[in-house]
Amino acid sequence: MQKSRFLPRGRKDRTMVLVDIRETKSVKAADIFLQVRPGKDFELLTILRAMIKDQPISDAEVAETGVSIEALQDLVARMKAAKFGAMFFGMGLSMTRGKHMNSAALLTLAAEMNAFTKFVAMPMRGHGNVTGADVIMRWQTGYPFGISFNRGYPRYNPGEFSTVDVLVRGDTDCVFVIGADPGATMPQPAIDHLARVPTIVLDPHVTHTSRLAKVHITTAPAGISAPGTAYRMDEIPLPLRPALKSSYPTDEEVTRRIKEAIQAKPDWMVEGPQRLETQV
Amino acid sequence: MDLKVIDHATCTFCGCVCDDIQLHADDTRIHKAKGACVLGKAWFLNHTTERNCPAALIDGKEATVEEAIQVAADLLYEADMPLVYGMSNTTCEAQRECVAMADLLGGLLDSHTSL
Ligand code: SF4
Repeated sequence: MQKSRFLPRGRKDRTMVLVDIRETKSVKAADIFLQVRPGKDFELLTILRAMIKDQPISDAEVAETGVSIEALQDLVARMKAAKFGAMFFGMGLSMTRGKHMNSAALLTLAAEMNAFTKFVAMPMRGHGNVTGADVIMRWQTGYPFGISFNRGYPRYNPGEFSTVDVLVRGDTDCVFVIGADPGATMPQPAIDHLARVPTIVLDPHVTHTSRLAKVHITTAPAGISAPGTAYRMDEIPLPLRPALKSSYPTDEEVTRRIKEAIQAKPDWMVEGPQRLETQV
Repeated sequence: MDLKVIDHATCTFCGCVCDDIQLHADDTRIHKAKGACVLGKAWFLNHTTERNCPAALIDGKEATVEEAIQVAADLLYEADMPLVYGMSNTTCEAQRECVAMADLLGGLLDSHTSL
């Protein structure tokens, strides 16, 4: 691991704390492992928020989380003594009971830690360029995901406009899927709805979703044979350097052509378009 | 056969997006991905330029890209509440087009993040 001026011994100068509901393979790489009881993330984070501010907490509340008070006191001391702390969080937090509230508690803890030392929080990303999707949507609409344009301007409401919810409720009547395979990853009621409505898939391979789709278009894989830009997890944009040529069109080209074909039709808003004439 | 070496290639298999990979490639496939982890290596080495997928499918039958684009545009246009979803394994340039399309359609727009 990188050695630096302030951390001359590299990995030895760093402390990694892993919090999970079970012992995973990552435990070997960690210095400290805290096993939290399933569904108690919010409680644990809230106790930590209280502890950093020396507010009283009861033994019963601590016992509920499955982590000992000594381990928590040690963690708080380490967090406050750190020069620069970083919290990484994944789907274990956002996909269990509490969902957005868990992530919100963690982000608040990170913000509050800045009263003592520098602290940041960053979501762990699974697939390639999800971070880029966040950045591009923020840039163009002001919101990172879960957006509706149905009033002619962007509105943001995860839970109402987020895909799983929309599909499970059956709110959409046509789905355009690009660079994803919801047919393999989403809950069954969502997949059932995908099969019910006309679905359009753009992917380098014929995926699970393509098999239940009305239209599939094969595109060149990004980074292998399609050029462009991708964002790293910490929001650094990086150019792709494709090594191969492809006889398939790129995602960008196909999406643009579909968009242009739609543009050629009369506008869906009776009173005419309200949006800006050109997109920057 | 042309052998080429590409320095500072970028891997987009996972969110780390490593940009310090050296690729050794000929015209049809990548032979070596120096500096990539096991996942990245597998991803680079598994792709070839062979055309092993049909250009496009409509109702499971082979079609041209042009036909598929027309059908897709019609379906999206006729829908009352179209949804544009995904945008993970693709480039920022394509994502921008997706946002513009969702805006044009007056539809929903969402990525993997909400999962
Ligand atoms: S080389 Fe490995 S760690 Fe780096 S982006 Fe690719 S898959 Fe991720």
